[in-house]
Amino acid sequence: MSNEQRSERREQFRNASIDGRAFKGLMEAGLTWLRTNQQLVNSLNVFPVPDGDTGTNMVLTMQAAVDEVEETPDGNVGAIAHDLAHGALMGARGNSGVILSQIWRGFARAIDQQEKLDAPSMSRAFAEARDTAYKGVVRPVEGTILTVAKEVAEAARSSSKDSNDPVKILEAIVEAADASVKKTPELLPVLKEAGVVDSGGKGLFFILEGMVRYIYNQPLDSAVTTVQPLAAMTLEDTLESIEPGQDYEVVVDFRPDQPLNLERFYGDLEKMGTSIQVGEGDGMYRMHIHVPTEKRYEPIDYTMSLGTITKVAMENLLAQMEALEKESRGSKLTLAPIEPGQIAVIAVAPGTGIARVFASLGVAAIVEGGQTMNPSTQEIISAFENLPTDKIVILPNNKNIILAAQAAAELTVKKVAVIPTKSVPQGLAAMLRLIPGGDFNEITADMNSALGEVLTAEVTTATRNVEIDGVFCQQGQSIGLLDGKLVIATNSLPEAVLGVLEKASAEDFELITLFYGSDVAKNEVNKIVDQVRAGYPDQEIEVQEGGQPHYQFIISIE
Amino acid sequence: MNIALVSDSTCDLPYELVERYSIHIIPNVLIIEGESILDDASFSRETFYQQLPELESLPTTATASSGSYQEQYEVLFQQGIEQILSIHASSKLSGILNAASLAAQEFGGRVHVIDSLQISMGLGFQVLAAAEALEEGLDLEAVLKKVRAVRQNTRLIAMIDTLEYIRRSGRISWARASLGVLLRIKPFIEVKDGEVVRLGDARTRKKGIARLLEHLEKLGPLACLAVLHTAAQADAEEFLRRASPELDTEPFIVNATTVIGTHVGPAALGFAAVLQE
Repeated sequence: MSNEQRSERREQFRNASIDGRAFKGLMEAGLTWLRTNQQLVNSLNVFPVPDGDTGTNMVLTMQAAVDEVEETPDGNVGAIAHDLAHGALMGARGNSGVILSQIWRGFARAIDQQEKLDAPSMSRAFAEARDTAYKGVVRPVEGTILTVAKEVAEAARSSSKDSNDPVKILEAIVEAADASVKKTPELLPVLKEAGVVDSGGKGLFFILEGMVRYIYNQPLDSAVTTVQPLAAMTLEDTLESIEPGQDYEVVVDFRPDQPLNLERFYGDLEKMGTSIQVGEGDGMYRMHIHVPTEKRYEPIDYTMSLGTITKVAMENLLAQMEALEKESRGSKLTLAPIEPGQIAVIAVAPGTGIARVFASLGVAAIVEGGQTMNPSTQEIISAFENLPTDKIVILPNNKNIILAAQAAAELTVKKVAVIPTKSVPQGLAAMLRLIPGGDFNEITADMNSALGEVLTAEVTTATRNVEIDGVFCQQGQSIGLLDGKLVIATNSLPEAVLGVLEKASAEDFELITLFYGSDVAKNEVNKIVDQVRAGYPDQEIEVQEGGQPHYQFIISIE
Repeated sequence: MNIALVSDSTCDLPYELVERYSIHIIPNVLIIEGESILDDASFSRETFYQQLPELESLPTTATASSGSYQEQYEVLFQQGIEQILSIHASSKLSGILNAASLAAQEFGGRVHVIDSLQISMGLGFQVLAAAEALEEGLDLEAVLKKVRAVRQNTRLIAMIDTLEYIRRSGRISWARASLGVLLRIKPFIEVKDGEVVRLGDARTRKKGIARLLEHLEKLGPLACLAVLHTAAQADAEEFLRRASPELDTEPFIVNATTVIGTHVGPAALGFAAVLQE
């Protein structure tokens, strides 16, 4: 696009007011730019799964609004805004769509019957938009599209004092929206936790930004086609905008042989992937793109055809994200927050994986310990002493820990029930019965009754020669125990697993869960699990990293 | 007094009853791979649930716009209706009530929007109570009183087959905690005071159904019962047979609306019950 064309559109907006035709153009531009960035808005999901819908909902709402004004005469901005608001109201989808429709409703109300839109009326319109948006929500929450609407209104007010130029005001608004969106994680903890900004606010930002891009004749149907100063390129925050299916991040530094045709460069890159950024400094270019696995080399080959590559960096975003997740999983457990008066469960767990599973089911505290490391009574007391409730349930999960748990129960003023769980599977069965707000006696009775619902198989290595329960085992052999009774001794670990399952008549049950220990290799686990699957085709098989020492497998059969 | 009754498609009332009592149901919207579909009689729930596990991206749901509520109210008033009773899904779970309330503002107190604090037949039984009271010719105050009484006595408990859908839907905060841990569990949920609370979990379906029966038996004598499911008709029939409740009314078996099914996934089983007063 020539500079001439660019300045021409800017000239249309040179006047101190925006007429009906220009207003329609702005709205269409807002919609187009939002649609271009729809997937990005969708991906701003609190949950790292590809199913966000805010972008889609806002596009559908905005589409309905713009469709509605197609037939409206150009003569009167107020009339167009009225129809626009009506279209948005009828087409509003989802919460963000409803709020967006309220924004346009307030906007329209403020400029009712006005022929043109000037600086003071813009200020009024955005103020009314904010007020209507807040009223449209039963319980307004900050750090959302509402906050962005509020700060947009403030920017419109203050900039309209300094300038009569509607374009200047729009620019100030976009800047304020951008800053406001970036701030949303500070206001809404759930966003911060997830490492994203608010999706609705971001959607509103794109609508407003589209208008300014339109004025400056910047492309609206392809995502960011700007070149930034090389130094300003920030690539660290890319994880926040990871899109489904775009698994690799590729960054290429290169020096083009010919002056770079940016339009074509972007056009070609868009066929390969998303999140495209281009930076330039001293004739050096840096290209950043997210691509699907099968296209990971395409951007490199392509850039090579344009000039000389000086550096290539490629990262697997999914693996990175998994590593991050794993790191955060390993470092700390998310334990259930306990409110006063609720029932808090303390579970003894012999391994980190097992601790994690208990945590996911809502235990309030974990005490490390198991077969060869029985926790002390004091350790158990410390785990629940400071919890803000006096209703405590302890799951010892090992027969050698039950007594210590009972002693802990006697040494505290809190009301403590020890459920005599002799194994991890029994502990899990009891845990499933937890209703934190339920009646203490009823729940603990329920937990006790659950113990019989599950069989426990354990596979470990014999530490000496012995004959118990009619089975002889030699030191170093793999042995299988079923509910604490020795049932098999053999020289092969897989045989011990299959043998104990056979003794349990696992074929009569529905679900077999294997927790593998810290001293068995993952490929060994996979081989054994394959055999279990083959032997029990009608049962569901689940495998979990238990992380327990000494026991290669703890198996729950239910 | 000429009063009309409006609800939305999450009420799950069988279409025969909707017609029999002239209840105006506003369909919610399901968005499947970019396409908006109205959740009304023309949309097959069976087909939806068959396809659900195979869809590339999870469908999403949206409330009908407040504009569609406004339009419905307008039409009714034009037909000579004087007051409208608009009963909807819990405001803590969806934006439906918000959309209806916004629309109601335009009619200056002639539309009474009521938060059922329930979903599915938990809402449906309240709408049904209103319909019956209106047919008896009770006045608005008396109708509202009946609805409140049913609301007070309604219990909805269900077993969800997998945590996956409810976690991905992102509406339920406790479902988030289990992120990344793959232990196969079937959570029990109760819709209580408008919110979804957790009632423990099962790990196998057989034991889960047995526990669902225990939950039902604990409620004592019932006035109404609906067995709810998402594409688990056989299980629902078997459950009703085993429960064999003594009721004042015929029990329902309801394949729940896809708008709810999107968030709980297929193979969920549960019940909505109204306790005897």
